[in-house]
Amino acid sequence: MFEVRDVHVAYGAVTALRGISLEVREGEIVCLLGANGAGKSTTLRTVSGLLHPLQGEIVLDGQPIHRLPAEAIARRGISHVPEGRRVFPGLTVRENLVLGASNRRPFRRDDVEADMARMFKIFPDLERLKHALGWTLSGGQQQMLAIARGLMARPKILLMDEPSLGLAPILVQEVFRVVKEINNAGTTILLVEQNATMALAVSHRGYVMETGRIVLQGTAKDLLRNPQVRDAYLGGGKAN
Amino acid sequence: MTSHDENLQKTPARTWLKPGHLALTLGAVVVVLLPLLFTSRYTTNLLILGASWGIATLGLVVVLGYAGQISLAQAAFYGIGAYAVALGTTRWDVNWWLALILGLAGAAIAGAVLGTTTLKLGGHYLAMVTICFQIIYTLINTNWIAVTGGPDGISNIKRPPFLVPLNTAQRYAWFALATLCLVGGLVWWLRDTPLGRAMRAIRENELAAEALGVDTRRVKVIAFVLSAVVAALGGAIYASGYLYISPDSFNFDHAVAFLAMALVGGSESPLGAILGATLLTFLPEWLRDLKRIYLVVYGCAIILVIVFMPEGLWGYVRLAGRRFARKLTLPSAVRTLQVGGRGTAGEEILRVEQLAKHFGGVKAVDGVNFSVRRGEVHALIGPNGSGKTTIINLLSGLYVPTTGYMAFLGRDIVGLRPSRIAHIGMARSFQNLRLFRELTVWENVLVGAQREESREAETRQRALAAIEFAGLSDKVQEICRNLPYGHQKLVELARALAGEPDLLLLDEPGAGLNQTEKQELVRLLRRLNEMGLTILIVEHDMSLVSQVASTATVLNFGKKIAEGTAAEVLRHPAVVEAYLGNREVALGV
Repeated sequence: MFEVRDVHVAYGAVTALRGISLEVREGEIVCLLGANGAGKSTTLRTVSGLLHPLQGEIVLDGQPIHRLPAEAIARRGISHVPEGRRVFPGLTVRENLVLGASNRRPFRRDDVEADMARMFKIFPDLERLKHALGWTLSGGQQQMLAIARGLMARPKILLMDEPSLGLAPILVQEVFRVVKEINNAGTTILLVEQNATMALAVSHRGYVMETGRIVLQGTAKDLLRNPQVRDAYLGGGKAN
Repeated sequence: MTSHDENLQKTPARTWLKPGHLALTLGAVVVVLLPLLFTSRYTTNLLILGASWGIATLGLVVVLGYAGQISLAQAAFYGIGAYAVALGTTRWDVNWWLALILGLAGAAIAGAVLGTTTLKLGGHYLAMVTICFQIIYTLINTNWIAVTGGPDGISNIKRPPFLVPLNTAQRYAWFALATLCLVGGLVWWLRDTPLGRAMRAIRENELAAEALGVDTRRVKVIAFVLSAVVAALGGAIYASGYLYISPDSFNFDHAVAFLAMALVGGSESPLGAILGATLLTFLPEWLRDLKRIYLVVYGCAIILVIVFMPEGLWGYVRLAGRRFARKLTLPSAVRTLQVGGRGTAGEEILRVEQLAKHFGGVKAVDGVNFSVRRGEVHALIGPNGSGKTTIINLLSGLYVPTTGYMAFLGRDIVGLRPSRIAHIGMARSFQNLRLFRELTVWENVLVGAQREESREAETRQRALAAIEFAGLSDKVQEICRNLPYGHQKLVELARALAGEPDLLLLDEPGAGLNQTEKQELVRLLRRLNEMGLTILIVEHDMSLVSQVASTATVLNFGKKIAEGTAAEVLRHPAVVEAYLGNREVALGV
């Protein structure tokens, strides 16, 4: 569905990606694992057009998109749920959701209302809070809103950056249930996540990044069994 | 590179080439040369004008560049100094220096009034209030004719008595330029004093500064006072230079001009301010040949500089000179970090009774009781929105409780300012990092280490010990903004530890770290705990909690639903239902 080919990205003098290549096929959940600073978020930001590669290309359905501005990429069906739940603090939950649909052409009120009703079905908390301002939501509710807003764009591909960050364990499980559900409904997902166990449990395939390169790739099952991956990313309680 | 940092170098090679000495020598040469090179009456007068404006702009470096508070009233303070000298030497017939001191005192009082009234304001509100202050000043200046002479101004102002009579314009230009250099040096020196650091910390993140023990209210008022005093000195130099003043020279236009000088030159650097003032003094004169369109060109030049050089001309110069910057090497710490205080393990150091915080109708915290004993790691867990962060904010003084009682080390801390609570011995980290982003790692930790009562040398020792503990020794010179997330978290921890607290509050220290990094965090927290530090930790990673915490309190909907040892609590049915969901998945077993 889309492919990243030998992409290099730098922030000023600091090189963040040193030639990464990866592929996401239709209907898949693909996860990116790696330490802080490995370049996972940078990869997502590059795919969604917030950053532009110095070298290499990104191809969506056979067409290069790496020179397009972010809003053009969003219109082609790639929706980015950024890290840290960037909801609009001064707008209500409803307004946040409507903004998520703002790339639609034509923009039909009925469609948007119907999609919003679907979101409220997936995230019942949000319905109760639909007139609440973004900043008054708790961390978990903001995360739900950010995901729902991303889905309002009816994306073909959803890029999710650390959806479980700062969430209570019960909500982490809930978020991954939702990720699976969205995927079952036909959305392709590229996921960045520190909680590798949970991420691999829902993913089809995964890539492991280190200092701007991809060092390992495979199916989620293979990665779960891989001793290197186990030591570095799945440790947790069992490591001790 | 700063003067204080250099004191720390073991081998101060080539002392004479330190940037400070270089600037001093250069300044002296310029002061001596300029009045000799430009001898016409007109250019000498421009030199005097430029020097006095430069001094006023240096005041803005303190309040805007260091403390980050915008002030559009600088011309008013400049005017207060000018009128004090003018009235003092003509009407009241007092010594020039006494008149100057009166003027500086008057400006200090006016600065304190302005600073105090604007304590809670920021951004455009602060700008509006300072503009109003400036306009009120101009109105009084123009209309209180009995005192100020009104629009006609005051003439026959005297020059200051000095070692040599300052009876020629050239001599006075030397005097004015020397004063400019002196003030510039003082402002430059201020930057790296504890006060200057506190100001810059406020600029970067006022909340974090306050929580680390910086009395932000006091420091902001001091910044306004210093800036006003410096501006008044500039005004006094101006009045005696031109021997005649009128209200036109101290109106809002000039306040804007001072701001433009600071921004064009680079508001964070005294040299930048002087550069900006020089440029904007001489540019209009050079452009006068353009006759009618000269103001347009002048305005465009300012816009271009501000758009393309957001850090001002000086920022550009500094960028070019970056490769000459030398590496800061700190000596190794002479003592280890002394955290945890000196009490006996097991005694109650924090007690919370019936604590409640309501936001409008929302009961974020609703009657919570718990206590923390010395030497334990106490976890505060619960679903999102259950009130954990609110409790951390209440304990550290950022919120005032609606009802309830909190005692820390036997002292009632309800209603105390965060900086006071920090001084008693409580430190905290923030859920979303709140570093002083434009300051270096070393400066961040120094702000955390500084205490009003302690000497700079002790502050440095504490900061060094914290840096070494966190393993950041090779990153001291880095600007925090440029560090990866994991390192920023470490800096925040080191900054909190540098105050050598009795109790450390950690708000989700593990968020965004992967398993390897989390294991490092676990080791670090265990080491701190072994050193005697008591920790109250909010964290969602139950595997991390079960590895470090000895006791836990569980909240839901602002109320306590369970407490006990960490292991007990994680088996509690209510906790599993409300918080953990699938217990095996949550604990990673």
